[in-house]
Amino acid sequence: MLKKFIFLIAISLGLVLLSMRIGLNAFQARAIGIFSVSILGTLFFWEFRLSFAFLGTAVLLASRTIDLEHLIKYSSLEIILFLVGMMVIIGLLKEEGFFAWIVSLIIRVKNLTAKKFVFVVSLISMLLACAVDEVTSIIFIVAAVLEICDYFEVDPVPYIIISVLATNIGSAGTVLGNPIGILIATKSGLTFEDFILKAFPLAVICLLATIAVVLVWYKKSLQKLDQQIKELGSNEMLIKLISVPAEKSTKKALSIFALTLLALAFSHRLDIFWKLEPNTVLLVVPLVTAALIMIWKHTKAREFIEKDVEWWTLLFFLLLFAQAGTLKYTGATDVLAKRIVGATGNNPHILTAVVLWLSAIGSSILDNVVLVAAFIPIIQGFQTLNLNLQPLWWALLFGGCLGGNITLVGSTANIVALGILEKERKIRVTFFRWFWVGLVVGVVTTAVIWLALVVLPIYH
Amino acid sequence: MKVKEIMTKDVISLNPEDNVTAALTLLFKMQISGLPVIDAQGKLVGMFTEKDVLSYILPSYIEKVGRFIYEENPKSTKKKFMELDKIKVVQLMRKDVVTTSEETTLSEVARIMLTQKVRRAPVLDKSGKVAGIVARCDVLKAFACEAEIPLKI
Repeated sequence: MLKKFIFLIAISLGLVLLSMRIGLNAFQARAIGIFSVSILGTLFFWEFRLSFAFLGTAVLLASRTIDLEHLIKYSSLEIILFLVGMMVIIGLLKEEGFFAWIVSLIIRVKNLTAKKFVFVVSLISMLLACAVDEVTSIIFIVAAVLEICDYFEVDPVPYIIISVLATNIGSAGTVLGNPIGILIATKSGLTFEDFILKAFPLAVICLLATIAVVLVWYKKSLQKLDQQIKELGSNEMLIKLISVPAEKSTKKALSIFALTLLALAFSHRLDIFWKLEPNTVLLVVPLVTAALIMIWKHTKAREFIEKDVEWWTLLFFLLLFAQAGTLKYTGATDVLAKRIVGATGNNPHILTAVVLWLSAIGSSILDNVVLVAAFIPIIQGFQTLNLNLQPLWWALLFGGCLGGNITLVGSTANIVALGILEKERKIRVTFFRWFWVGLVVGVVTTAVIWLALVVLPIYH
Repeated sequence: MKVKEIMTKDVISLNPEDNVTAALTLLFKMQISGLPVIDAQGKLVGMFTEKDVLSYILPSYIEKVGRFIYEENPKSTKKKFMELDKIKVVQLMRKDVVTTSEETTLSEVARIMLTQKVRRAPVLDKSGKVAGIVARCDVLKAFACEAEIPLKI
């Protein structure tokens, strides 16, 4: 513990000295020092991340590195409110059996074969991550995978890994898939529609590439599953294992969710129609839906807010955004942006590659929200240098999501899935069992995105 | 009235190294839902209840999946039940135990039971060893006694 702490302080001090050397002033270097303590705090002391964030923010205020007004401005309350609204909606969907229905859909697949299983699990993992968020969606996918693997008595690890890989890819497909989606959307001005038209197709291509890789990688495991399916016959018992009673309220909840998705999809057009600031409707829709849900289920309204909204995580995000904002406020990120552009020789393609690969590698170790929050002010800094930012935002989004596939701690979905696996089946996946397949998928998919961002004009 | 006046002094307890099937059999025999777990030094190390076994047998993600109905028993429940014989009480018991002391008042122990959602609380003496155990029914009987309401038991 003490060693880690000394290491953390040493790295942060090193970064402060380095920043001063490359031309940052004392204020800017201090902001970088405090921010790096917070970031490294999440890496070394994950359970204490909120304490680090609280202390870091207090130091920033007390040392006059940022004033209260700007701290509140940068804490991005709009993103927090968006996430609160979405969490209430997900709370309702859970209560109404939407997710159990998804689980039953997977385990009811008829004429199952190993390949079909991989396709279905990957596709549903991706779509569910797109529609809700990766951390919620992975729990249900893992539940379905474990039931099927249990029934056919095969090792669940390959299928759990496949579903997590697909989930992380899917999380880049829409604004809803990952907190970095809404973070990038609000800071870049990209709309929900942009995500559907530009990010979703890329996520589908990445998914197809991933399926191709895992079909080869897990050839033996798939053969074993095919054998077991032949031996044990069809999944009769699984077909009737769980049911979700179709009640009026379930249909109502599903309609509310569908309408919410529809309104989100048209949010940009509604912004224009009502002459609102960009992305206003995007932020308003979850709030309106959550409000209606709390009126409809008024006896449970408090429960939705207290249990389904993850305040621990949201408070961490709020303070993290404020700290990252301090980097912008002090001008530290503008200096860094200039340095990075200088180092890439003003070549936008190289810059896109740098952002993409750096964010992919970074998010394989760090929480992607931490990484993206730090990167955003740097990318905003590029704007002052008259660069086209669009490919850089997509690079950051995909780097942040796809990098999570590289290591087993790369994203929250990985940690959640492996946690359930360990608790349920006493199986501990070793670092390298994940790493090699994760690395191949991570590199292949990131390369696909790189190519698309450089070659396809719609991303310029 | 104080806890020491109403508690059961002869505490039947489990050893952390007992296997779960044996512990469960004892619970059935005694017709109660939980027992304290005490180590060789007489120190309270946990509380073992039927609920702990149930939550082990059913999938851990069950509370997160939301509303649904099991139409069949998953294969894993049977497998997990068979494994109970190889599992020790220490692996399933709840380690964070709500306790009380001999000098605690009747209303205070009732308050603890209500707010902490426990059915029974081990009573610790000044040295931290288990001096007895007080259950919800002991508390209710004591209240009845104080109110001078005869209960036919």
